Amino acid sequence: MADGTRSPSASPTATEDAALQEALAAAHVAIWGYGVVGAALPPESRDLVVACELAYLDLRDQLLALLSARQVEPVDDEPGYTLPFPVLSPVDAAALAVTLEEGSSAAWTWVLDQATERSTRQFGVAALGAAELRAVGWRIRAGRTPPTTAFPGLPEA
Amino acid sequence: MSGLLPAPPAAGAFTRRSLLLATLAGSALVATGCTGTPGDVTDAVTPAQVDQLAAQVRVQEAVVTAYDQALSTAPELAASLTPLAAQALAQLDRLRAAAPGDLGTTAAATSGVAAPTDPTEARAWLRGLVGTAAAAHAAACPEFTGGRAALLGSIAAGLRGQETVLA
Repeated sequence: MADGTRSPSASPTATEDAALQEALAAAHVAIWGYGVVGAALPPESRDLVVACELAYLDLRDQLLALLSARQVEPVDDEPGYTLPFPVLSPVDAAALAVTLEEGSSAAWTWVLDQATERSTRQFGVAALGAAELRAVGWRIRAGRTPPTTAFPGLPEA
Repeated sequence: MSGLLPAPPAAGAFTRRSLLLATLAGSALVATGCTGTPGDVTDAVTPAQVDQLAAQVRVQEAVVTAYDQALSTAPELAASLTPLAAQALAQLDRLRAAAPGDLGTTAAATSGVAAPTDPTEARAWLRGLVGTAAAAHAAACPEFTGGRAALLGSIAAGLRGQETVLA
């Protein structure tokens, strides 16, 4: 890289780092997306949205620290994102939150698949479990039945 | 469209996630043992890992058995438990497929305590077993690599979700 950061191909954790970048990108999306979710929900739901957003801010910071310690330039957030569907009601907002959490679960499952470091898999399994717990709560609010999934982050067989 | 798109003209996130899902489909095949090839380092398992995978299969068998017992003793829970039981069974199938070699056949054990007949107590009993299984799979996950780590982590997360709705 031009700024002196390590070339991914030279790193023993290159594939893992690439997967962590995906998880970071998903965190950026979630942080942005929860702003939209919060705007479409009544004030009494604000604490829940803030808790979810804080969880992603914490994840983002952990990922930034991890990648930076490896001299890998972290991916930036995008200047903007396009919503996958209009968010016009609390149910829409819950459905968007489900999308955010499922995107995060997919990224973390990929981290587990690609990780070479045991500590990264410990990080990943905790992050994946937390994303699914949040997703279950939002699926309930979105009226989805059942609110659980057998294989969070993985495609159904 | 199933995900958030960066606003045009940026192209990053959706493309990455689309590729991610496509790649994960391949990963899932590895996890189910369909594409494992000799010499694939990420798919290799040590004898200790074979034993641990077998142990995780037993853990999941106990979950499936517990759902069967609860549905038998508290049939009024069928509407809420049947979908969860089906998920637990699907998890067991994929876990068995990911475990190399012959697992043999054993009688699946639960806690050794029969499921309560009271629906509230039965849910609480199940919740405890499901939570314990989730913790066991999560603890085992980092001991593996590749598709098996992803599968164990995913199943652990799925059971955590079930534990929540059983509350």
